[in-house]
Amino acid sequence: MAPQPDRHIDEAEVERYSLSVLPEKEAAPIEEHLLVCDSCRVRLAETDLYVEAMRRAAGLVASSVEAAKR
Amino acid sequence: MHAPQSPPGYPDVPSSFSPPDPPWSDLVDKLRSGDPSGMEDLYRIFHKGIRFQLFRSLGPQDVDDRVHDIFLTIAQSIRKGELREPDRLTGYVRTIVRRQIAMLINGAIQTRRTYTGLDTLGALSDRRPNPEHSAIAHENFELAARILNSLSRRDRDVLIRFYLREQSSGQICLEMKLTETQFRLIKSRAKARFGELGRTRLARRTIS
Repeated sequence: MAPQPDRHIDEAEVERYSLSVLPEKEAAPIEEHLLVCDSCRVRLAETDLYVEAMRRAAGLVASSVEAAKR
Repeated sequence: MHAPQSPPGYPDVPSSFSPPDPPWSDLVDKLRSGDPSGMEDLYRIFHKGIRFQLFRSLGPQDVDDRVHDIFLTIAQSIRKGELREPDRLTGYVRTIVRRQIAMLINGAIQTRRTYTGLDTLGALSDRRPNPEHSAIAHENFELAARILNSLSRRDRDVLIRFYLREQSSGQICLEMKLTETQFRLIKSRAKARFGELGRTRLARRTIS
C-alpha cells in the first residue's frame, strides 16, 4: 500500500526512508506526514541512529569476514 | 501520555500539536488575504516539521534563519496564488522545503568549485556531531557490532545486505530463500536486542 500523508509511518517505511532507498513516489507522502507529526519525527530520529549504527557495524563485520576469507 | 523525546543529537520535538484534518482551505484563505493570523497558524503547524527536515538534511548551522526564510517564501507564494488547490498544502510546503535544501546544497557546491580549497560545503552541512552525540554514536556502533557478531551467519548476512548493501527485502528473500516473515523477524529481533542492550547501558550509567 502506498504511504498516505494522513496516517502514521510504519516500521518498514521508516527504515527504508532512513536508508534513503525509497522512490520519490513513496517518499513524498512520508515527508508530508513528517511535516505535521511529532511522534513519527521522533521515530525517524531514533531509526536514523539505529540505521547509522547498523550500517557502520555491518561495514566493519563485512570487511572482517572478507579479510578472513583471503 | 508522555511527549515523545528526541534522541540525542536531534532537536526537541515536543508533542504539543495534533495535525489538523484537511481541508486546509481556511488557512490558505487567510494567507491569501494577508491576515496575520494565517502566518501564525502556518508557523504553529509547520515550524517543527520544517526545522526537523532542515536539521536532518543540512545540520544545525543557521537552521532558524533558514526556517524563517522558508516561511516567508511559502507565505509570499501562496499570496501570489501559486497554490491552486488548498488541500495540497502539505505537498506544497514539502516541495518548497526540498527546493530550498537543494538550492543551498547546490549553492555551496558552486561556491566550492569557484573557491577551490575552501571547505564551504562543510560549513553548510555542518552535521559534525557534538562530543555527546559522538560518544552515543560510538556506543551505538559497538552495540550493533556486538549484536551482529552474536548472530548466526545467515542472520548476519541478512542484516549486512539490508543495512550496508541496501538490498530490498524482495531481493534478500529471493537470494537467501527466506519468507517475508522470516526476514522481518530477523530484523525485528536484532532491533529489539539493540533496544534491550541500550536500556541496560543506560541503567548502568544511571546507577554508577
